[in-house]
Amino acid sequence: MYISLSWLKQYVDIDVPVEELCDKMIHIGFEVEDLQDLSKTMNNVVVGKVLEMEKHPDSDHLWICQIDVGTEEPVQIVTGAQNVFVGAYVPAALHKSDLPNGMHITKGKLRGVPSNGMLCSGEELNLKAGDFPNAEVNGIMIMDDTYPAGTDMREVLQLNDYIIDFKITANRPDCNCVLGVAREAAVALGKEFKAPVPTYTEAGGDINEHIAIRVEDYDLCHRYMGRVVKNLRIKESPDWMKQCLRAAGMRPINNIVDITNYVMLETGHPMHAFDLRDVKGSQIIVRRAKNGEPFTALDDKAHTLTDNMLVIADAEEPSCLAGIIGGLNSEIKEDTTDLLFECAKFRRDSVRRTARTLGVRTESSARFERGVDTIGVEYAMERALQLICELDAGDIISGVIDRHDGLPSLRTLVVPAQKVNDLLGIEVAFDTIVEILNSLGIVTTIENGVLSCQIPANRDDIEGCADLAEEVMRIYGCEHIVSTPIRGDIIRGKKLPERVMTDKVKSVLVANRMREISTYSFIGSKAIDALNLAEDDARRQAVTLLNPLGEEYSTMRTQLLTSMLTVLATNYNRKTQAVRLFEVSKRFVPKALPLTEQPLEIPALALGLYGSEEDFFTLKGIVESVMDAFGAKADFAASSEPYLHPGRQASASVGDAVIATFGEVHPDVAGAYDMPIRVYVAEIDLQALFAIERPRTVYKALPRFPAVERDLALLCDAAMPVASIEKIIRTAGGKMLESVALFDVYQGAQIEAGKKSVAYSLKFRVPDRTLSDEDIDPVLNKIFAKLKENDCILRS
Amino acid sequence: MKEQLAALRETALAELQGMNDPKQLEDFRVRYMGKKGSVTALLRGMGALSAEERPVMGQMVNQLRQELEEAVAAKSQAIQEALQKEKLAAETLDVTMPGKKEAKGGLHPLNVVLEDIIDIFQSMGFDIVDGPEVETDYYNFQALNVPEDHPARDMQDTFYMADGLLLRTQTSAAQARTMEERKPPIRILCPGRVYRADEVDATHSPVFHQIEGLVIDKGITMCDLKGVLEQFAQEIYGEETKVRFRPSFFPFTEPSVEVDVTCSECGGKGCRVCKGAGWIEILGAGMVHPNVLRAGGIDPEVYTGFAFGIGLDRLTTTRYKISDIRLLFENDVRFLEQFD
Repeated sequence: MYISLSWLKQYVDIDVPVEELCDKMIHIGFEVEDLQDLSKTMNNVVVGKVLEMEKHPDSDHLWICQIDVGTEEPVQIVTGAQNVFVGAYVPAALHKSDLPNGMHITKGKLRGVPSNGMLCSGEELNLKAGDFPNAEVNGIMIMDDTYPAGTDMREVLQLNDYIIDFKITANRPDCNCVLGVAREAAVALGKEFKAPVPTYTEAGGDINEHIAIRVEDYDLCHRYMGRVVKNLRIKESPDWMKQCLRAAGMRPINNIVDITNYVMLETGHPMHAFDLRDVKGSQIIVRRAKNGEPFTALDDKAHTLTDNMLVIADAEEPSCLAGIIGGLNSEIKEDTTDLLFECAKFRRDSVRRTARTLGVRTESSARFERGVDTIGVEYAMERALQLICELDAGDIISGVIDRHDGLPSLRTLVVPAQKVNDLLGIEVAFDTIVEILNSLGIVTTIENGVLSCQIPANRDDIEGCADLAEEVMRIYGCEHIVSTPIRGDIIRGKKLPERVMTDKVKSVLVANRMREISTYSFIGSKAIDALNLAEDDARRQAVTLLNPLGEEYSTMRTQLLTSMLTVLATNYNRKTQAVRLFEVSKRFVPKALPLTEQPLEIPALALGLYGSEEDFFTLKGIVESVMDAFGAKADFAASSEPYLHPGRQASASVGDAVIATFGEVHPDVAGAYDMPIRVYVAEIDLQALFAIERPRTVYKALPRFPAVERDLALLCDAAMPVASIEKIIRTAGGKMLESVALFDVYQGAQIEAGKKSVAYSLKFRVPDRTLSDEDIDPVLNKIFAKLKENDCILRS
Repeated sequence: MKEQLAALRETALAELQGMNDPKQLEDFRVRYMGKKGSVTALLRGMGALSAEERPVMGQMVNQLRQELEEAVAAKSQAIQEALQKEKLAAETLDVTMPGKKEAKGGLHPLNVVLEDIIDIFQSMGFDIVDGPEVETDYYNFQALNVPEDHPARDMQDTFYMADGLLLRTQTSAAQARTMEERKPPIRILCPGRVYRADEVDATHSPVFHQIEGLVIDKGITMCDLKGVLEQFAQEIYGEETKVRFRPSFFPFTEPSVEVDVTCSECGGKGCRVCKGAGWIEILGAGMVHPNVLRAGGIDPEVYTGFAFGIGLDRLTTTRYKISDIRLLFENDVRFLEQFD
C-alpha cells in the first residue's frame, strides 16, 4: 500500500526522519517494500519568468530567451518551443540539473548560441494531463504567477514528500488504509493518533423521496448504507486531494469520484456513487444475479453472470457487481446532478469468488476480499459527506438508508495475563501489557491478573491469547525474546528407513564417480513420446495439472528417464566429453484416472552416462554395485524396452520383482535428444530395492588352506549367455567350488562360425585341508559332463 | 719372488684405482683371484720354494689376496653407490607436473546443504520425516488454518490436479499429518519439494525446496524457538551469528515472525550482500496456531509448539553466491562439480 508521508502526517505528529519511521514500522510488523524520495526525482529546476525573446540568427524555430530565475542576472536559455511568450512563467532546468526521466542538463551551445539550461514541458517533468495545469500541452508548461521566479519546482509540484510502500499482511485488512497505518505509526512512535471527526451540514429533504433500497440476500451483503447528494457541482478536486490520490497510485478524475477513492484509501471502505438519473425505478435492489444475466462494467467489458454472484441492481438490471466494479450504465458523468453514495459490507469469500471467476480485480474487490468491518461503514459514509461539504461539491439530503441483518456487537476476550507471557517465554509487566493493548485500540482492563479485552470491530484477526501475545510482542519489541537452548531428553533424531537407505544408495553412486542432478517433477505432456513406449504402456498414464505454467510443465512424471536424457543432452551439447549422472526422485503413479485420490509417489533412481570409457558393462557394474550394497542377488536377463538398444539392454530381478532396467539408449531415442553417440541409462525402482530382505553382514573366517585353481576353455554356441554357463558350472561344482571367474570370451577366425570360446578360472577350496587332484578331478568331470549336456565342449 | 709379489700388488691396485664398471671389476677379480688368476698362480708356484720360505711366502700371498679381496669389495660398493646415484639422478621428476586425480562424484548442491541442515537438527533431536508432494487441500490449507476462499490463499499460487488435490505449496503440510501420527513431545524436520505457480526467472522456480520444523511440547515458548534457530544459524553461518525476529504473518502460526540473521559477509555492519541492512532474512517461523493444534488433535490448552520453514534453494544460492536459481535445475556438470 502506497502512502505519502504528508498524508500520514495528517493523523500522526511524525517528528522523526522518514527512515526512522520506516525502521520502527518494520519492527512492529509492517515491512517497507519501497521508500521513494519524491524530491530526488528532479533537481535544480526552478520557476522562470521570460523577460526577453529574440529569434536565433541561424535557425527558423529556435528562440533565445532571457529568463529571470530569481538571481540578480537573468540566464540565457535557447528553446525550440513555440508557445513561450514574454512574461510567461515556465519551468527552467538550470545548468547541472536533473529531470525525472534521468536527463542531466548542462550548459552548452545551440547552433553557436550559449544556452544555460532548458525550458521544460509537462512530460519532461513526468506530469500527465490533470496532474498540473498545461501538463499535457505539446510545448513548454506555461504556469500562472502563483510562484515567483526562482521557486524550486519541487515546491510548486509538492514533491518535498516521500512515498512509502507498506506491505500489509493478510491478517490486517484494517491496515489497507491510511488511517489503519497511521494508528500503527502512532503506536510505534508513541504519539497520539488523531482520526478525523466527521461533521457535515445537511440541506434538508428526505432520502426516501429519492430512492428505495432493498437487500434480498443478507447472507452476501451484511450491511448496505445509502445517502443522497443533490445539485452536484462537479469540478476538479483540490491539489491536496489529487496529491494524496496520485501518491497512492490513483488517477484524479473529478471531485465526486475522487471523494469515493479518497475515502476508500483513507478508511479502507470502498464506496460507490450512482448517477441517480440512471437508477431505474428509483430503487436499489441488492440481490443475487440471475443465471446468464448480462452485465457491462464501466471498463466496457461484458460479463455473463451466474446466480452465486451478488449485484446491485435497479428496478430493471444490474448496475454494479457488488464490491467489485460499477456498471457502464450508472457511473458519474460530467453532467450528473444527483447521486447516491453506497457504502457496504459484502461477504468476502463471495466477492473473492466472483472476482476470480470473472477475472476482474479492483482496489475495491481487493479490500472486500480481505475483509472490511461492518461497523466502520457508517464512519466512511460520514467522511464522504464531510468532504462533499468541505469541497462544496453538492447538497446533502437528510436521512440515511441503512440496511443490515443485525450489527455485530464488540467481542470481549478474557485471558489470564500470564498466559501471554507463557507463550512468549518472557515476563512482560502486566501493566505494560494493558498499556500496549490500549494503545492499539483494544480497550483492556486487568483484574486479579486476568485481562479483559474489548476487540475493535475491525480486528477480526484477534481471536485468542496467541493473537494478543503477538500484539504485545510486536509493540513490546521482538528484541526482548531471548534464546533458550532446546530442552528435553537428550536424543539424536532418527531418519526414516527409506532416507537411510537412499543415503546409502547415493554414497555408492558417488563412490562410482557419479554426480547427482535435480530436475523438475513435471514434464511436457509429449515428453514421454520420445521413449517410443507402446500406446497402452502404464507409464503413459500420468497425472496432469489443471493449471500448469505451460505445456512443458504440465505432466507429473511417471519415469525419470526423459529428464535424465534432457540433462545428458544439455551437457553433451555444451561439449562436455563424458558424464556420469544420477537422480533420486519420485515417480507419480495414479491409482486411477481421472484422479480421485493422491497418486502413489514411488522413489526411483535414474542413472545416465556417456563418454569414451563407458559401455554397457560399466553401466551394469554400477547397477551391480547398487544391488550389492543391499545384498540383492539379482538375476540379469535381456529385456525389451523400446527406448533401449534391442541387443544391449537388461533387467535385474530379485524373485518376481524387477528392480532395474538398463542399457544403451536406442539410437533413435538418443537422436531425438540430439546425441549422435552411445548413451547409457538405467532406472532403478528404489521401493522394490528397499523391500529386499537384506542379510546381516557376518564375518567369514579367512581360509587357512590354499585354494586349487583350474582354468577351463569352453566352446559353445555364440548366443549362449555366459550366465547360464556359469550357473551350470556352479551347480555341478558343489560345495568345493569356491569361485568362478570369466576371464576371456573369443569369437573369430580361430573357431567355428556361430560359436564362441569362453574361458573360466575356477577356484576350489575346503576349510580343513589342502585339496589334491584326487579330490578335484571327480568334481571337474561332473562339471564337464553337465557342460557337455548343454553343448559346451571343452577345448583341448 | 718377493719382488714379483710386490710388483703384482702394485699393478693390481693401480688397475683397480680407475675402475668404475661392475663387469670390469668381476673380470679383475677373476684375473687375480680366480682359479687361474695371478694370485692363485703364485700360491700354486710355492711348491718350488724351500720349506722355510714357503710359510712366509704363503702368509704374504694370502695377505695380498685378502687385501685385494677387500679392495674389490670396497670398489664394488663404491661402484654400486655411484651407479644408484646416477640412476636416481636420471629419474628426477618435474614435481610441479599435475597429480593424477581420480574423477569424483558428488551430491547436488541442494543436497550438500540439506545434509548439513539435517545433521544440525538431528543432533538437536529432530526426527527427519517425509510427506507426499501431491497433497489434499485439507493438509495443505484447511488444517493449516487457511479455509477455502481465505485471502491467505492468495499468498501463494497453487497447482491443482483435481478437486481437492494439489501440489503442496509448503512443507508445512506435514504438520497436521505429523500430529495425527505422533503424540507430543514432537520434534520433527520435514524436508521436501514444494510447488508454486511462479514463472521461471533468476529468483523464482515453480519447483523449489523447503524444510519444515515442528516442535510441540508442554511449555514451549517463543524463546525456545529463538534458541533452536540461533543454534541452527550459528552452525550454518558461524559462531558470531545473531538472530533477529520481526513480526509477520503466516496463517498457521501466531505470533508469526520473519527471522533475520546478521549478514555473514559483513558481520552486520551492512554491505552489498545484505543491501546495507546488516541482516539477511532466512526463514519464517512462529508459535503453532491453536487452530492448527486442534486440527492435529492436540489440545492447545495443554501443549504449545513452534514451527519454522527454511527455504533450501535460497539458503543454497546465498551460501555459494549463485546468482541464478535456474542453474540448480539445469545440471551442467561444470556447475555441479563446484560443490564437493
